[in-house]
Formats: sequence, C-alpha cells, structure tokens
Amino acid sequence: MATETDEHGEDHHLPAVEDWPRGFGEASWWPFVTALGAAGIYVGAALFLMGRGDTDIVPSIAGPAVTVGSVAAFLVGLYGWLYHAFVANFWERGADEHGANKLRWGMIAFLGSEVATFSAGFTYFFFIRSNPGAWPPGNLPHLLSSLVLANTGILIVSSLTLHKAHGEIRKGKMGRFKAWLAVTLLLGIAFVGGQVLEYYEFIVESGFTLTDGVFASAFYGLTGLHGLHVSMGAVLLGIVFVRSLRGQYSAERHVSVTTASMYWHFVDAIWILLVVVLYVGAVV
Amino acid sequence: MADPQVVSTLTAGLFLLVVVGWLARIENWRVVSVGDGAGGGTAGDGATGEQTGVGGETAKPSGLVRWLTTVDHKDIGLLYGVYSVAIFGWAGGAALLMRLELLDPEMSLFSASFYNSLLTSHGIAMLILFGTPILAAFSNYLVPLLIDADDMAFPRINAIAFWLLPPSAVLVFAGFLPLEGVIPAQTAWTMYTPLSEGVGAGTQGNVGVDLMLLGLHLSGVSVTMGAINFIATIVAERGDAVTWANLDIFSWTVLTQSGLILFAFPLLGSAIVMLLLDRNFGTTFFTVGGGDPILWQHLFWFWGHPEVYILILPAMGIVSYLLPRFSGRKLFGFKFVVYSTLAIGVLSFGVWAHHMFATGIDPRLRASFMTVSLAIAVPTAVKTFNWITTMWNGRLRLRTPMLFSVGFVSNVVIGGVTGVFLASIPVDLVLHDTYYVVGHFHYFLMGGTVFAVFAGIYYWFPLYTGRWYQERLGVVHFWLTMAGVNVTFFAMVLLGYGGMPRRYASYLPQFATLHQVATVGAVLLTVGQLVWLFNVVQSYLEGPAVESGDPWNLERDDLYTMEWAWFRRRRGSALTDGGTVSGDDSQRETKEASGDDSQRETKEASTATSERRQ
Repeated sequence: MATETDEHGEDHHLPAVEDWPRGFGEASWWPFVTALGAAGIYVGAALFLMGRGDTDIVPSIAGPAVTVGSVAAFLVGLYGWLYHAFVANFWERGADEHGANKLRWGMIAFLGSEVATFSAGFTYFFFIRSNPGAWPPGNLPHLLSSLVLANTGILIVSSLTLHKAHGEIRKGKMGRFKAWLAVTLLLGIAFVGGQVLEYYEFIVESGFTLTDGVFASAFYGLTGLHGLHVSMGAVLLGIVFVRSLRGQYSAERHVSVTTASMYWHFVDAIWILLVVVLYVGAVV
Repeated sequence: MADPQVVSTLTAGLFLLVVVGWLARIENWRVVSVGDGAGGGTAGDGATGEQTGVGGETAKPSGLVRWLTTVDHKDIGLLYGVYSVAIFGWAGGAALLMRLELLDPEMSLFSASFYNSLLTSHGIAMLILFGTPILAAFSNYLVPLLIDADDMAFPRINAIAFWLLPPSAVLVFAGFLPLEGVIPAQTAWTMYTPLSEGVGAGTQGNVGVDLMLLGLHLSGVSVTMGAINFIATIVAERGDAVTWANLDIFSWTVLTQSGLILFAFPLLGSAIVMLLLDRNFGTTFFTVGGGDPILWQHLFWFWGHPEVYILILPAMGIVSYLLPRFSGRKLFGFKFVVYSTLAIGVLSFGVWAHHMFATGIDPRLRASFMTVSLAIAVPTAVKTFNWITTMWNGRLRLRTPMLFSVGFVSNVVIGGVTGVFLASIPVDLVLHDTYYVVGHFHYFLMGGTVFAVFAGIYYWFPLYTGRWYQERLGVVHFWLTMAGVNVTFFAMVLLGYGGMPRRYASYLPQFATLHQVATVGAVLLTVGQLVWLFNVVQSYLEGPAVESGDPWNLERDDLYTMEWAWFRRRRGSALTDGGTVSGDDSQRETKEASGDDSQRETKEASTATSERRQ
C-alpha cells in the first residue's frame, strides 16, 4: 500500500509505515485490536445465549456488556486500520493502477462471497415455496404495498445517482460529484428508514413477527440480511462522502469511490431479486 | 449489579492485560526469533533472533509485540503454522483416545457421551480449525515470494484473519472448559438437523452447541477474508515477470482453493446463523414442516464437499511442486495439472448430494450427482498420472520431503479408488455410514493433505529456520506415519465392508480384531508425530545452519525457484527482511563481499524467471 522511496530511487513497499506502533514498516496494532473486537462480539453473543432463559450460566448483563465493549474495540481498530491504510497522507501515498487493481479485485472477490451468503436464505425460500406441505403458509402480511414500491424506486434511483456521481468525478467535477453523492446517501438512508417503517407496520400493527412460521423466517432472514448490507453500504458511502468533503479524491484518484459503488450497485441488484422472489413470489 | 463474580473477572482480566503489557516489553524473547533463522545466515548462526538493523532502523518491533502486531506475510504464515500444529495435537489426541476406547467392544475408558464429544471435536478441529489454516500457513509464507509480490494484497486483513482464529477455537471447544452448565457438543462434525436443532431428549439443546456454532462462524469469516486476500494477491500483485503462463503450480492451486472458499464458506456461515436462529429464536429454517432437516444437509454439503477439495488442492499443489525437484525433471504435463485443478474446482460444486444418496432424495437428482461425482475422478486421475510420469526415469532423491510426496500419491490413489465406489449409488447404499467411508476420507485427508503438509514442512524447513532438520528422524517419521495410516485406515475400509457402522462408541464383538488393528495403527501414528515434533523443535533450536542459498541443490537440474532466490538474497543480508533503506545497502555490500553467492546471482535471476513454472 504505502511506498517508500529511498535515496537510490528504489521502491520498497512496506505495508504499514504510518501505523501505531510508529517507526516500523511491518507492524500495526490495528489488526490485533480489530480482530479482538470482532471476536469479542462473538464472545458477547455466546455470553448472551449463556445468560438467557432458564440456563442462566452467566449474569444476563455479561453478554450485552461484552458486546458493547467489543463493538467499541472493533470500531477503534477499524478506524485506525482504514485511516492509516487509506486516508492518512492521501495525496502523498503512491496511487498506481496496480494498487487500484488490487482493491477492485478485493471488492469483486468479496461480492462473490456475498452471493454465497445470500444464497443460503434464498435456497430456504425456494424450499418452502416449492413444498406443498409448507406452502401456502397460514398468515401472509400485506406484502405488495406502496411502501415496498416506493422503497424499490428509492434504491434504484440511488444507484443511478451514484453512477452519475461516479461519472462526474471521472470528469473531475468535484462539486457535482459531492452533490450527487450526497443525494445517493440521503436516498440510502431513506431506504433504511422505509425498511424500519415496514418492520414497524408488520411487527406492531399486523403482529407478523420472526416466529410467525415458515414465511416469517424467510422474510426477516432475507430482508434483515439485506438491511444490514444497505446500512453498511450507507456507512461506506458516508465515509467516502466525508473524505470527499475533506478534499480527497480527484479524477485520477478515487478507487474507494469505485469499490463503494460496486458494493452499492450489488446491494441494489440483490434487492431487486429479493422483491421479485420474496415479495412478488410469495403473493403470485 | 456489583456481583462479586463480575468484579473478580474484571480484576483478573485487568491483571492479565498488565502481565501481557509487561511481557511485551521484554526484548529478545527467545520464542519470537523463529522467523529470523535465515536473518543471521552469513554468520552461519541460524536462529539468533537478531532484530535490529544498521542504525537502529527496523521493519518490526522486537519481543512479543512483533508477533502481535506483525503484518508481514511470512510471520503470519508462521503464526498460522504454530496455531494449526497445536490444533492438530489436540484433535489427534482426541482421535487416539477414541481409538483406545475402541480396543474393546464395551465402554471401558469413558462414557459414550464423552466419546461423542471427542468425535465431534476431532472432526471439526481437523477439517476446519487445522486443515484450512495449515494450508494457509504455506500459502501465506510462500505465495508472495513465488509471485514476486511485496506482501499480500491486504497485509492488515491478513493479520486480522489470523487473530480471529484462536478465539474461534476457544468458542468451538468451550464445552470442554470447566464451565458449569456448558456441555461439549455431540452433534458430530456434520451437525445434522434435527439432532442439532436441540429438540428431543438429548443434550443437544445445551448452549455448548451454540458456542461451537458461533466459533465455527467466526472461523469461517477468517477463512473467507484469507481467500479474498489470496485472490487479490495472485490476480493483482504478481511481479512483472510473473504471468499467467508461468505462474507456479502451488499458486494455481491456492487460487483455485480461494475461489472454492469464496462460495463455500459464506454459505456455511449463513446456514450456521440460520441454525442458531432456529435453536434460539424460534425460526423454522431447518425444522420439520419448515425448511426441512434435509435443507441443512444440502447447505452443509454444498460447503462440505468443496471443503475437502479446499483441503486437498493446495496439498496437491505442494506435491506437484516438490516431485519434480526430487526427480530431476520438470513437472510432466504442467498445463494439464493446472487444467485438472480448475476442473476439480468447478466440478466440486456439483457433487454435494452424493453424501445424501441414502436420505431419500429424488432419484433423478441422485443419478445426476452420481454422474458428476464419477466425472471428478477424471481430473484427479490426470494429476496422478502426471505425478507418476514426472518420476518416471527421473533421478529420484528419496529425501524426507520426497518420501512424503510419494507416500501422498500412494495414499491418494487408495483414497481415490475407494471414493469411486462410494460415488456409485448402489454401492453407496450398502456402504453408507459405515467405517468404509471413514477409511476412504482419512486416506485423502490424513494420507493426502497431512502427508503433503509434512512434505512441505521438511522441504521449506531451511527456508523458514535457516537450519536443517535431522534426515534420519525424518525418515523414521515417514515410515511410522505411512505404516500408521495404512494400518489404521485400511482396517477401517475392511470394517466397513463387514458392516461396522461409523460413529458408534461400542460395537459387536465380531469387529474387535480389526478395531484393535486400527488402534495399533493409531499408536504408530502417534509415535511418529512425536518423533516429528522432537525433530522440528530440536532442529530449530540446534540444527546445523544451512550453508548455501540452494540447500536442495536445485540449480544442477535447472529447477531453482523464486522462494530460494529470496532466501539467498536474505542470507546475503545481515538483516531481517523488510527492506529498510540501510538494510538494503548492507545487503548489497554483503553480496559483493561473499564471492560465492555473488557469482550465482546472475544465474539465479535467469533460472528463477525461466523455471518458475515448475
């Protein structure tokens, strides 16, 4: 990632020249802190399961407490890692096609793994949908509401605005880029808000909850997973937006705009599939 | 709130942090010098733990901090290695306990439920917590060297992926910890529903199963991060001289393996979360009348069958890489070994339901899965014949790595042939859930993957320690392991023919003799691995230092490769690698000073690029 050029003009690529502890090229506390935090979240979940119900092996406060602490450690590690790997000394660090290529391939591979993550839930839905013993389920909520249509429209438009923003930064029009990016971000937040509203209507008003049978598992499993992804996408776009406000990126240097866009379009495509399969497929 | 237990736990935790902090300040920690073996190479003193460079500039801190903070792919490879060996010891110990219990038909050493716990944790530890990470140890250390990259594409992600593993192992094995109310999981490594749903009268509803599932999910996250990293590294980080046409065979297998991981592990992760939701939050993913218990088997084996190729492909890569070097010939049919690797990678996603022939799935589905399962024998056989032809008329040098490579080929042939029978529906219906299956896949995993791992550990021992292992002990280790594998697992194949069901803690007296034979084999295996452990530890500490940059004499046959070229460059430098400014100056000077090595420099450059493909 980072490049140091010595007095002989040779390139020595040391991966972590900025990181804490300082003064080394191949040492960083951030991975350890991040991993500790991430593992702590799992330990927190484990303690939560150990402390609930009649089992009560640990105090019920232990799980949430460990989880909160771990999330904090995770975020600190993540911040340090991303800051030192990508953000600090943005204009000084080397930015060749080589480095950008690697990040794009990293994102492509990650999106490949996401296909597998989602396909387990979809497979479950295909199983119950094609099983005469399980389908039709007793209680389907009102799925094809105007809210879903509006939300779908919002997400598709957000992909278009993001594409527009990407086009503007390629032309070097930073002002327009930021404006279109801001619009995308707002649309993304609006989508998440719409999802929260839908959950509220289903859970509180229709009484359709996670434990409401075979379709509820598919519905909350898939929309919940997707909602997490949209939220993470919004965070990514938010980071890109803040960095652009701080004067980073140019027509030549915006690989994180590219990778964040790839992620956002992917999540959008999953949503369209999800609406067709889960919403329309359940009713038709 | 002020629960004394919580207070004491927090105090203990704080105390541990202080201890870790204090330990971290100690410099020149003996155990941390493992990766620096070649660093002090010029002086001929292998593992001195020399850390500081000229003018106090270093790429890494010293002491324990180095290992906690490292983002160097070689250090992380060593961490993966140490972690995996520890898991191997624990899981192997579990297997030995089970074999001892099976000496007689009755339960005599411990309870049947403890047997079930050992069975479960042996399978999960070997397949997930040992198998994938030990191969990651090799690929982390070697792939960036082989493709002439500075490091992995994402060095920090690499480190994160490793540090997720130890906590995941703790969660998986949490049931064995003295925690009141937590029982070790007894689901077997396949975690079949409805047993693992926790319904019924057994103990599967216990939180120990949840802990294991959480640990498995965490390890899956780690493995997936590693796979993404390898794909980005091999695709985008290759040096200028490394093209797709001359990419080495090991990197090809790692790339294919990473592709398999990418689509297999996240799916298992989702299935595990679904199972956790079923167990704890009342969903219906795998319940009867919901998604059905069979859905779990589909999802599990969609991961599970690619997983065995995830474990065998880089092992095949290691063997394909080593055989030519001890045969004095190039790898026969290099392109076809690569094509067969890719073919196995693609086909491996189309065979999963051959684990489910006996579950009553649609016969048309069964027939198609049988076809693809039989078809996958073709690329596997292509590899086998290429290995044999590589050795044909070669000038064989039967050093320990070569012995393990040849043993690998032999065992994989038996594992493969027994597998062809299992792929056939009528035969499988007879042999399903018998010891035949256990024998078959252990030939592949113990006789295959583990053999390749040992071959690699011996072959690259000079590379990562700068010292030689003891050849005689290596040969003893090989023959004990080879005999142990064949005695243990061929007895299991015969037990399966006789109708002995797998997973049982007790059995009918008629099976006693073959079970005792298998246990004798397991004892041989255990002794062999103790010999190995002694050899590795003793040689790392006191073995003779490597005297040249070409310890295996590869240049004679024009088979010198990139990682040894790196080793030679590093031997020329008094520094650890890392390439600080002053470090490279001294490296250049040292090279000029030592005439022996500098003469080879030019040749090395040409051989390394032209012969990399082997």
